[in-house]
Amino acid sequence: MLEAYLPILVFLGVGFVLATVLLVLGLLLGPNRSYPEKDSPFECGFAAFEDSRIKFDVRYYLVAILFIIFDLEIAFLFPWAIVLDKIGVFGLVSMGIFLGILILGFIYEWKKGALEWE
Amino acid sequence: MTFEQIIFYFFSTILISGALGVVLVRNPVYAALFLILSFFTSSAIWLMLEAEFLGITLVLVYVGAVMVLFLFVIMMLDINMDPLREGFVKMMPLAALVAIIIAAEIVLVMASPSFNFDQSVVHAADYSNTKAIGNILYTEYVYPFEIAAVILVVAIIAAIALTLRRRKGVKHQNPSKQIRTKRNDRVRLVKMPSSSTQNRAGE
Repeated sequence: MLEAYLPILVFLGVGFVLATVLLVLGLLLGPNRSYPEKDSPFECGFAAFEDSRIKFDVRYYLVAILFIIFDLEIAFLFPWAIVLDKIGVFGLVSMGIFLGILILGFIYEWKKGALEWE
Repeated sequence: MTFEQIIFYFFSTILISGALGVVLVRNPVYAALFLILSFFTSSAIWLMLEAEFLGITLVLVYVGAVMVLFLFVIMMLDINMDPLREGFVKMMPLAALVAIIIAAEIVLVMASPSFNFDQSVVHAADYSNTKAIGNILYTEYVYPFEIAAVILVVAIIAAIALTLRRRKGVKHQNPSKQIRTKRNDRVRLVKMPSSSTQNRAGE
């Protein structure tokens, strides 16, 4: 069973080697003339104004959670699609009800304006 | 020890170290990144169990979506952790109680006869875990499947109810209104008396 993953291992190996070689080449061949000002962090040429750990707006959270719900809905479609010829009309109807319930939720969030970004 | 066992122990070691990292590191953002590492390695272990669909779903849903949410939550919290650590000793008995209950539950589940570790299941070469899930999820387990939809709708409504706030005083542009505007809406021509009479009035 593990033999099936050999191409992925080769892919990972090539990726790792290539990344390492390119980084090392850049380190060895590129000019390295650093001084403290060049290495210091900057924000568009100014000294950094504040800590980057500021509180996020809660609306990002709303967008993320609405995304997860429909992400899960899509995930349920994959196994359904490959066995649809076996489970027949019953499977079609059960997925129809599933999608119908979620479309109700979708209409709710649309009408409620949760997808608008003021 | 077979090659598969070596790989299994390799991933298990990473998984347990990642899980330890989640609870031991001080920076909550690092803890979330350790959790991502744990999800990835458990997905690899699921792949070894030939549960390919579940493994990919774990990465897609948990790493791709849930962890983004976790990071948002961490960003929304007050990141200064010192006040949070103050109650450590006071909360210790409660935390220990919760940990003991969880451990007992895990032991009970693992000791039940449905978990049979002695025989490993050997599948035929054309076995597809995704098809196996699909064959029973939408027919035999159709009722839990529809309940899942209801739970997702409840999550939609709860998330909107908790976080949707209309802001007051937001200034909008309305492009269609801007385009439809006429010259007369913006410019007003005023009839003025001629300048000579005006000058005389000024004197």
